[in-house]
Amino acid sequence: MNVVECEKVTKKQGSVVALNELNIQIKKNTITGLIGRNGAGKTTLLKILAGLWRPTSGHVEVLSVNPFNSLTVSANVAYIDDSMDFPNTLTLSEILQAGKRFYGNWDSQLAERLFEYFSFHPNQLHTHLSKGKASTFNMIFGLAARCEITLFDEPTNGMDASVRKDFNRALLKDYLAYPRTMIISSHHLEELEELLEDILVIKNGKELLHEPIDVIRNYAIGLTGRSELVRQWVTDKQVLYTEEVGANTCYAVVKSEGIPLEKAKQLGMKVTPVSASDVCVYLTNRTTGGIDDVFK
Amino acid sequence: MHLLSDGTKPIYVQIAEWIETEILNGNFQADDKVYSQYKLAEIFTINPATAAKGLTILSDEKILYSKRGLGKFVTPEARQLILDKRKNHTLKGLLDEVALEATRLSVGESELQEMLRESMEKIEGEEQ
Repeated sequence: MNVVECEKVTKKQGSVVALNELNIQIKKNTITGLIGRNGAGKTTLLKILAGLWRPTSGHVEVLSVNPFNSLTVSANVAYIDDSMDFPNTLTLSEILQAGKRFYGNWDSQLAERLFEYFSFHPNQLHTHLSKGKASTFNMIFGLAARCEITLFDEPTNGMDASVRKDFNRALLKDYLAYPRTMIISSHHLEELEELLEDILVIKNGKELLHEPIDVIRNYAIGLTGRSELVRQWVTDKQVLYTEEVGANTCYAVVKSEGIPLEKAKQLGMKVTPVSASDVCVYLTNRTTGGIDDVFK
Repeated sequence: MHLLSDGTKPIYVQIAEWIETEILNGNFQADDKVYSQYKLAEIFTINPATAAKGLTILSDEKILYSKRGLGKFVTPEARQLILDKRKNHTLKGLLDEVALEATRLSVGESELQEMLRESMEKIEGEEQ
């Protein structure tokens, strides 16, 4: 069953097209990673799903209703980003109490335990928190809300490495105990890919790839060898990336489908795996030129 | 065990291999119940769907069998199957790579055999 359906969803902001006829479906009780470059449309998509923004055109259904101005969606979808506007007159513990009043499945015990574990003070104000601390508090709020759908927009922004690790583990443990649908956006895929069931890659406001994580892990392979050999060999293959490494040596990333690996090895090319996060980087790269071309 | 997510081996394959090693070490005996996908997900902090994939591989290879509603169990022939598989696939694959590298370096068969003998002696020495 799908809990999210988008059909030809377009969002224009002035002359900028943030989403361009996007089509996606999200299955119930899956954890999906939403991956894309800055400005690809990740936040726009999540805000539309949360009912905060209205699309310019197209059809959106979240939990079978149009999310914009929907109370059902407000009560059952938690949207967490790093600019959460909590009222400045409330202390952290009052914010948690407000969360309990609003969300039917709110888990006070989980909220309190995480609150203590990450050593927050009940009387602190949200605006006085450091960036990492604010992200951590927002994460606690999002997990404790225990909504049918939880949308995390760059949840680990500003967190230090050990908090990130704790965040991953807390999220997974709570998901195992209370399966629900989660969409997590990030540009750091490698930090969260183990949590994911599916990956949704978007580029220029359009869906590029929506596959189980293991498909992405096996999506491409790297070939290293003498330049003329590699370049000649990959001409009839789907090349995602090439780079000259050292004198007369070329590294090429090609789609692994239908590549005779044994043949490549016999010809003297080195075959290496390409991690899921690198695949996403190559897929979402601009088609022409790199940073070096700016300085020409 | 530490999982590698650099793409060298899919996580579900690493999970399957970890269970195989546990069986070879005798931590899971024939007809023992192995960990559920949820337990594995918790142990390794991975998505339960990924863990389930690892278990499915082992079921397909008849290393595990399912009891409806109870979970997955080690088959009586699991140990032998794993040993055969590692010998015929993993070890053979490694040897193919050794042979390829030896050819590139023009190392002959007798020299290679000598090197292999030294390696084995070293391991036997460490075990004693």
